Amino acid sequence: MRLSLKWLGDLVDLSGLSVDDIIDKTVKAGFEVADHERLAYGEGLVVGEVIECHDHPDSDHLHITKVNIGDEVLDIVCGAPNCRKGIKAIVAQVGAKLPEMTIKKGIIRGVESNGMLCSLLELGVKKELLDDDSPSLSGIEELDDRFAVGDTDILEKLGLDDDILEIELTANRSDCLSVFAMAKEMAAILDRKCHLPEYEGYSDIGDKTDFRLMSKTANCPHFLAKVVNSITIKPSPAWMREHLIASGVKSINNVIDISNYVMLETGQPMHFYDLRTNPLKEITVVDDYEGPYEALDGVTYDIKKGDIMITDNGRPSGIAGIMGGENTKILDDTKGIIIESALFDGPQVRRTANRLGLQTEAAMRFAKGLDPLAQKKALDRALQLLVEYADAKGIEETVEWGKCTYEPYTVKETVEHLNKVNGTHLTGDEIVSVLKRLDLKPEVEGDKIIAHIPSYRANDLKIAEDIDEEVIRLIGYDDLEATLPKMPMTIGKLTRRQSLRREIRAILSHNGLNEIVSYTLGDKASVEDTLLPVGEPICLASPLNDARKYIRVSLMNSLVDTLAYNEAHYNKDVNLFEISTLYAKGDIQKERLAIILSGDLNNSKVLHSKVENSFYTIKGLTLELLDHLGFELGRIQVVKNDLDTTHFHPYRSCILKMGKDVLAILGEIHPQIVEEKKIPKAYYLELDLDMLVDSKPAKIQAHKISRFPSVSRDLSFVLADEIAIGEVIKAMKKAGGPLVKHIEVFDIYTGTQVASGHRSVSFNIVYGASDHTLKVEEVNEVHDKIKATISERYGGDLRS
Amino acid sequence: MDLKEVIGLKEEALKKIDEAKDLKDIEELRIAYLSKKGKVSGLMEVMRSIPKEEKAAFGKEVNIVKDEITKALEAKKDELKKIEDTKRLEAEKIDITLDAYTPKLGTLHPLTLVQEAIEDCFVGLGYKVAEGPEVELDYYNFERANIPEGHPARDMQDSLYIDEKTLLRTHTTAIQMRVLEKEAHDLPIKLICPGKVYRRDNDDATHSHQFMQAEGLVVAEGITLGDLKGTLQFMIDSLFGEGHKIRFRPSYFPFTEPSVEVDMSCHMCHGKGCPVCKGTGWIEILGSGMVHPNVLKMAGIDPERYTGFAFGIGLERVAMLKYGIDDIRDLYTNDARFLEAFKRLD
Repeated sequence: MRLSLKWLGDLVDLSGLSVDDIIDKTVKAGFEVADHERLAYGEGLVVGEVIECHDHPDSDHLHITKVNIGDEVLDIVCGAPNCRKGIKAIVAQVGAKLPEMTIKKGIIRGVESNGMLCSLLELGVKKELLDDDSPSLSGIEELDDRFAVGDTDILEKLGLDDDILEIELTANRSDCLSVFAMAKEMAAILDRKCHLPEYEGYSDIGDKTDFRLMSKTANCPHFLAKVVNSITIKPSPAWMREHLIASGVKSINNVIDISNYVMLETGQPMHFYDLRTNPLKEITVVDDYEGPYEALDGVTYDIKKGDIMITDNGRPSGIAGIMGGENTKILDDTKGIIIESALFDGPQVRRTANRLGLQTEAAMRFAKGLDPLAQKKALDRALQLLVEYADAKGIEETVEWGKCTYEPYTVKETVEHLNKVNGTHLTGDEIVSVLKRLDLKPEVEGDKIIAHIPSYRANDLKIAEDIDEEVIRLIGYDDLEATLPKMPMTIGKLTRRQSLRREIRAILSHNGLNEIVSYTLGDKASVEDTLLPVGEPICLASPLNDARKYIRVSLMNSLVDTLAYNEAHYNKDVNLFEISTLYAKGDIQKERLAIILSGDLNNSKVLHSKVENSFYTIKGLTLELLDHLGFELGRIQVVKNDLDTTHFHPYRSCILKMGKDVLAILGEIHPQIVEEKKIPKAYYLELDLDMLVDSKPAKIQAHKISRFPSVSRDLSFVLADEIAIGEVIKAMKKAGGPLVKHIEVFDIYTGTQVASGHRSVSFNIVYGASDHTLKVEEVNEVHDKIKATISERYGGDLRS
Repeated sequence: MDLKEVIGLKEEALKKIDEAKDLKDIEELRIAYLSKKGKVSGLMEVMRSIPKEEKAAFGKEVNIVKDEITKALEAKKDELKKIEDTKRLEAEKIDITLDAYTPKLGTLHPLTLVQEAIEDCFVGLGYKVAEGPEVELDYYNFERANIPEGHPARDMQDSLYIDEKTLLRTHTTAIQMRVLEKEAHDLPIKLICPGKVYRRDNDDATHSHQFMQAEGLVVAEGITLGDLKGTLQFMIDSLFGEGHKIRFRPSYFPFTEPSVEVDMSCHMCHGKGCPVCKGTGWIEILGSGMVHPNVLKMAGIDPERYTGFAFGIGLERVAMLKYGIDDIRDLYTNDARFLEAFKRLD
């Protein structure tokens, strides 16, 4: 909403208020002021008459002039084509300040110049607001007889001495898209009087009409039309032109200006049709027209079914609520007009305007909602102005389609309620005085205060809480006391799922991994070929584009893509994790953890100390994490990956199971993906977080430390490559029985000393008992049993 | 052998001790003089041949000599040990300016840091943390939030719809609506609801089709707008450090009435005006208000008896302000160099 303070000043007493005061109060009352600009700006301007004008000898366009500014004659070099002897111009003297420059004395091609003759554009006036024949468009502004040499009140006389506030309206205050409503609001905010013009009932006059009006769509529930057989096209009065320009609307002629002016005043978009173009004198509103249509901006739009269209005589004549048509527009020789003041469905107007890319002032107002009485108000005001400024005659009676269903209503408020909600201590008198400022005509009835809601606030003020807000917003929030709720104590805590996530994040970040948050939405390919999808992917019905059309069903592509991005940007040793919920068709919702490791997990070049990532780092990290979370190794089975070998290296991946259920899949990412996605060799885990949430973790249980020493023995065997060492350790533990406390592999050797297809594996076995010191014979017996088991079962050849 | 010789022996020993260069010399001297076969012990042998009447004096003198040598040896030993220790430490000198072996710490995502900070602030005040589905029913996202049919947000053009009734939630208000319905008979409610939300926006430096919010909700008897102000002041102090002012500006949200926009005094310039706050001294930080009676009614809560407040804060906004991030897309690109910065404690 562009608000001209000059226009506002015509309607509300602003005396004694600075622009900053007004802005501050407006902002505090709930209207953001996004911008404040001067319509035109210039300090040190004076009216001068060009008394001599010669061509510059060294230039094909410059003029050397003498300009009389009253008390002196200035030498000024001017490049404007319309500069000539006898015209009066705006002179910016040396030292004058313009929006983009300060004027200095200068030498232009050898000739001294003491000032500048100005175009309105140089004073900051926007090009699109100037008249088509304005001299400022191609040269300097030429001043008329109102201006005398030496005058300095140029901007005032031009009507350009205005401050414009760009006010952002909240969705409930579309009423303020009307200058009249905004003026009432500002009067309430500033606690000043408001004087609006009287125009009610001006359209109630008119001769009998044979104009026919109908709507074939529910999206046009109310339409007022009126035929005016005779009007005179001429320029608008200066005040109207000034207010229009200040509001960012170009002045065209009195009739078109009146339609725009009334829209600005009342908020109701209006349209005038040339009566000549409608020989059958009828309008039908439809929403089933399909085809091209040329609007009055000269652009042809593709109209589709659903778009509300004005038609007459069996052809389209305007895009309802958005823009009139080229075929029915007012021309310089228009003699009679048909006035439209109608209500069109906001959401539909908005959809059409969005699709056509045609965001007009009218469309925006319909989309945001109108005063329910606006159609009649606008028609009244338009008639008043047409009669006065366009010699309107031959006025026919108003034709109405549908009706205005608005009924005035009241809202009941109490002092107690208002103070209870706001936490204030206001008295009834204070409340009543605020409601009076808002023109809500408060009546006090016992403990009730009854507010009469004006029609333009009907969308907004419906219940007592709305009144609570009106009062505190005008009194101001600055003095509202900050308190904390007085209520029973409650225990604040995280759920198990929330705590679990925090634990996982802590462990993984402490181990050198960076957490990421990536996009949920991806393209079709990202959900088609993916690891263990949670279900059938959900496709958006209204995606913004194809790249963000599907909801991800696995985290793998997100992490692989993030790794690829980092690889492309030369980030090395990238180790990442993400926790996110996945969704699929049929109300499927699953939360997962994903990890991707590449390069080294820890690295110090100087000290040659690093842990290079491998299948074993991701396996170890995962099992240690699970152990920390209360899912110790005993509950987790590490089994062969028979679920997905297209994303994982078939021989360097595994599945973790808890009971019968798959908890996680992990391993080396398939070399083909590594190649395709241009990522370094990487290791990946995806884990079902829901399963951890739903499973009971082990409690902390202190170990009893044996007071007796343990015995450590080593064993080395040559084993065939295909024998899984994990199985061998299990068998060793079983054979050894309770004395075996711990078995660990400390070396694996392959090479010339060992037959091909075999490896030498060295184990360290710790024996112990909690109730006595082990005897050598005791240990030997168990140790021999273990040796025998390996030899017999795995053909292990004992090396030591 | 007479006393003169004894003194001579002593002086010889003390001289040698003084000249000793290392602990090995000291040990050799100890053996040469004080061991069983050493020179001082040798003096005891001499005692036998000393006349009876001189024995006592001689013995006394020998003991004095022994004592002096012992003390001198020990003193010299301490001195030399100190020198040797110093030398040894010197020999162990390393270059402390070399790159260290650094156990690499990973990082939490900045959005997580902000989310956890907000959660912790409110858990401390006795709030629960509630979550809800991102694939949400139009009913909870809009209808229950008092956003009527025909509202622009309910248009396919503005929200990411899946079908007529389902969409990717556009705000975490949807979580509040679910909890309100579920816990209508278990008041009071004190909640903080963080989560991802989605809008049909093109991504640029300040817009993201995916972003995060955290909303707060309190419903009980006697809750006022003043309580909202106090609670938000507490949150801002907790997130940005104490000493920030907050300011309420009237605003509009369909699900609250009255509604207020909340500004905090700029954390960069403390209200003086700077580029971050565009010279105003204030930064718009969140939207809030008193829960709209229609919202309470729809959930089955009597708005005559209970009131409540709600607020919603954008986690990206907080992260961007706190950490000086100027492009929202950086939060979703996950460049390792960007993430590295967040290993520091707040």
